[in-house]
Amino acid sequence: MRPLIVWHIFRKDLRETLRDRRALFTTVVLPLVLYPLLFTAIGSFTSNKREQLAAQAARIAVWGPVPERTVQAVLADKGTLVERQASVPPDAEDRARKAVADKTLDVVLLTPEGASGPSIPLKVYADSTQLQSEAMQQRVLKTLRKHEASLLEERMVALGQPAMSARPLAVEEADLSSGSRRAASLVGSLLPYMVLVLLASAAFYSAIDLTAGEKERGTLQTLLTAPVHALEVVAGKYLTVVTMTLVAALANIGSLSLAIGRILSAEGAQDSFHMSGGVVVALFLTLVPAALLLASLFIAVGVMARTYKEGQSYLMPLLFLVLFAALGSTLPGVELTPALALVPLSNVALLMRELLTGRATLGLASMVLIASFAYAALGLLLAARVFETEQVLLSGEKPWKDVFARKAKGGFTPGNTLFFVAVLVVVVFYGSLPLMAAVTRQQIGQAIALSELGFFLAPAVVWALLMRVPLRDALQLRLPSRRGLAGTALLVLGGWAVGLATGSVLDNFQGAREYGEQLGQLLGKHGPLSLWAAVLLVGVLPAVCEEACFRGVVLTGFARSGSRALAVVGSALAFGLFHVNPWHIAAATVLGLVLGYAAFESRSLLPSVLLHFVNNALQMVMVRVPAVKAVFESWTAIGTGLVVTAVALWFLRGSGRPPTASVPGLRRPGSVGPSGPLGAPARAE
Amino acid sequence: MIEALGLTKRYGAVDAARGVCFRVAPGEVVGLLGPNGAGKTTVLRMLAGILTPSEGEARVAGHAASDDAFALKRSLGFLSGDTALYQRLTPREVLRYFGRLNEMPEASLTARIEALVQAFQMGDFADRQCGKLSAGQKQRANVARAFLHDPPALILDEPTTALDVVSGRFLLDAIRKERGRGKAILFSTHVLGDAEALCDRVVLLHQGQVLDDGTVADVVSRAGARNLTDAFLARIGATA
Repeated sequence: MRPLIVWHIFRKDLRETLRDRRALFTTVVLPLVLYPLLFTAIGSFTSNKREQLAAQAARIAVWGPVPERTVQAVLADKGTLVERQASVPPDAEDRARKAVADKTLDVVLLTPEGASGPSIPLKVYADSTQLQSEAMQQRVLKTLRKHEASLLEERMVALGQPAMSARPLAVEEADLSSGSRRAASLVGSLLPYMVLVLLASAAFYSAIDLTAGEKERGTLQTLLTAPVHALEVVAGKYLTVVTMTLVAALANIGSLSLAIGRILSAEGAQDSFHMSGGVVVALFLTLVPAALLLASLFIAVGVMARTYKEGQSYLMPLLFLVLFAALGSTLPGVELTPALALVPLSNVALLMRELLTGRATLGLASMVLIASFAYAALGLLLAARVFETEQVLLSGEKPWKDVFARKAKGGFTPGNTLFFVAVLVVVVFYGSLPLMAAVTRQQIGQAIALSELGFFLAPAVVWALLMRVPLRDALQLRLPSRRGLAGTALLVLGGWAVGLATGSVLDNFQGAREYGEQLGQLLGKHGPLSLWAAVLLVGVLPAVCEEACFRGVVLTGFARSGSRALAVVGSALAFGLFHVNPWHIAAATVLGLVLGYAAFESRSLLPSVLLHFVNNALQMVMVRVPAVKAVFESWTAIGTGLVVTAVALWFLRGSGRPPTASVPGLRRPGSVGPSGPLGAPARAE
Repeated sequence: MIEALGLTKRYGAVDAARGVCFRVAPGEVVGLLGPNGAGKTTVLRMLAGILTPSEGEARVAGHAASDDAFALKRSLGFLSGDTALYQRLTPREVLRYFGRLNEMPEASLTARIEALVQAFQMGDFADRQCGKLSAGQKQRANVARAFLHDPPALILDEPTTALDVVSGRFLLDAIRKERGRGKAILFSTHVLGDAEALCDRVVLLHQGQVLDDGTVADVVSRAGARNLTDAFLARIGATA
């Protein structure tokens, strides 16, 4: 895949989309204008109605022997007696219903004939479906409660008791939440749903136009006559839909926030709702994977259709599913849990609610983001697969059979490599839960060994066998050239500095320092592992298992695109992703770039295995031997190491041999990555 | 230059094309003729590298689609009724876009676009969105797109359909000029008069198979007909 071609396709598609005034109006202009107008109108109407109801007298009918004092008490609180009958009509309920429906009455007070004694039954009829009738009923009930309390006090006095003895408990209603908290809670329920719906709508229209719309207009075939990969086409269109979706998201978040704040203010939430800059950024970041997922799904399904209209029919059920998933945030009592964090789109809606109400936690947020990115990767894989199906692109007839038909040729592709990474995410996530639950602190060594072998080496080997790629090619099991060997030696001498330099930068952040201390306690000299066990388990095993996985099958798979950038960056990001903790992800990704470049350029796994080992083993030694730590952590040593690394990479550049016939299209080699949730020590990758 | 080597395309139990073989030499215009559903579009798509043959091989300028589809596409200008222009882009923008997809250097691309705008008399509408152009103007812009990267081979699938006499004549003249420049041109049409006037050879296709391949005179003679239309009907009727 050539990034420049993807860029040209993206730019063209974006330009065309922006020139579609209807789409632009629907996705950007409409939310900016409509919501303030709509919510202002609603807020104004609600406010006026509330004031109107407060000033208005309740129209009351009294049927049967309702005590006169009670009637007078009710009428005294803005009540108008419209009708009074000493007897109860035979069809009292029907008559009351009709009178309220006709708006001649708001409330009916009824006491059955013959009622007497210390407790008089009193029914208060109203229609809860009518705003005015219900409001007046609430007012009458409140008055009646006060009147009842007053009667009780009189009885206590008559019995020679103090009036206050009628109130053994002086109950007072008090809400601990602040106005802004209540406002945030309301917005937290509504806003995620509305934003997701609008996000889906934006993706919906962009995706149909760029897939089924292009097919119908005949321009997709024009594009296919040009020397472009199907994957480049899907990538360009994907970026366009994602861009339009995120622009719509920004427009909607901003517009809705202002509009809802306005209506909350009208509703009496005086501490009106405000979103801080941090929350806005967090919301936007949460929406990114949702946009990625929606764009991929809509593109994949949209291209199946032959016409715009058919595309709408295909995508409508998908849109309903999105609406259903987004409803989660509006349901009372539904909280973001580890299980719900794995439910696509619902997890995003719930995380948005948590962010808005200030209850989000880093752990659950990370889970939501990782799961959402994994789903988005699967969606993109599906879209890529569809675009590689020529019959679907040219006609759309019988598409699903073609899309899911087993391809005759084996071998890695960028698409199936993405799928492998997504599957690995699921395997590691579910596999690590029981593993962590089963082992004690003393058994950390076994846990590391199991996770390295089970989560990285075994899946990599199985994947290569399934894809019918010889292990020698899949895992890059070959020696570098002489120049490559020289580069490898230099990399071993200086490459450790990359991890230490990254660690020094990250140490400026509190979170990174705390995480480093936690790992240090677990894997350091006070932990359960001896030095040699730590070097073996944290140095050797990850170097072999993770490199086989990330610089082996993942980098090799991405390298089939013909793009070094995709192979190196893609494998580094995948490598980083599996380190789970955000700080560790950053450190691992940086090291992954160096490991990936070395493996790609040398077409051998050896340089990355050795550097990975040195990096991790050195960390194990440093946390146990202060003298070593002092030497290697000096900026002189790190600077020297970085210079040596640069020279090493220069030696490695282009040192690989020509590709073998068994992996066609692989011009140079690729490689693999890092450790799982239990697999790495302080900044060891 | 353009070679169909036993091209076969199967869709389930249906053969859209069966063992189609012919060649188009440099400086030659070959007409691919056949009734609706004969398989012309399928064959042309396989030759353009858009469809993968079930059997056989498509080659353009020595490049096989199975070995290097990009080299094949760079050697080919393809135009058909199904290759429309982007309605919300101008012809100049369309040309620049396809030039970039063909990885043409920016400087030479700009010069080439201006040359084509002049040659195809598109000055009046080159900066107007394609959706607002007439059928003839759109087809000129589309032909310019196919000629843009100056490929040695051209495949034109019913390029004169829906064009008025003036635009049709303009297009036929453009094809003749390209033949004069040594291009190999495969030309599919329903208008047999165009084929008779323009083509050095014709290939008759019916039910996915080649019925005849030769000069217009040879094909007419072999069918015992008076002209190409009669020959065409005779061959189709003989096998229908």
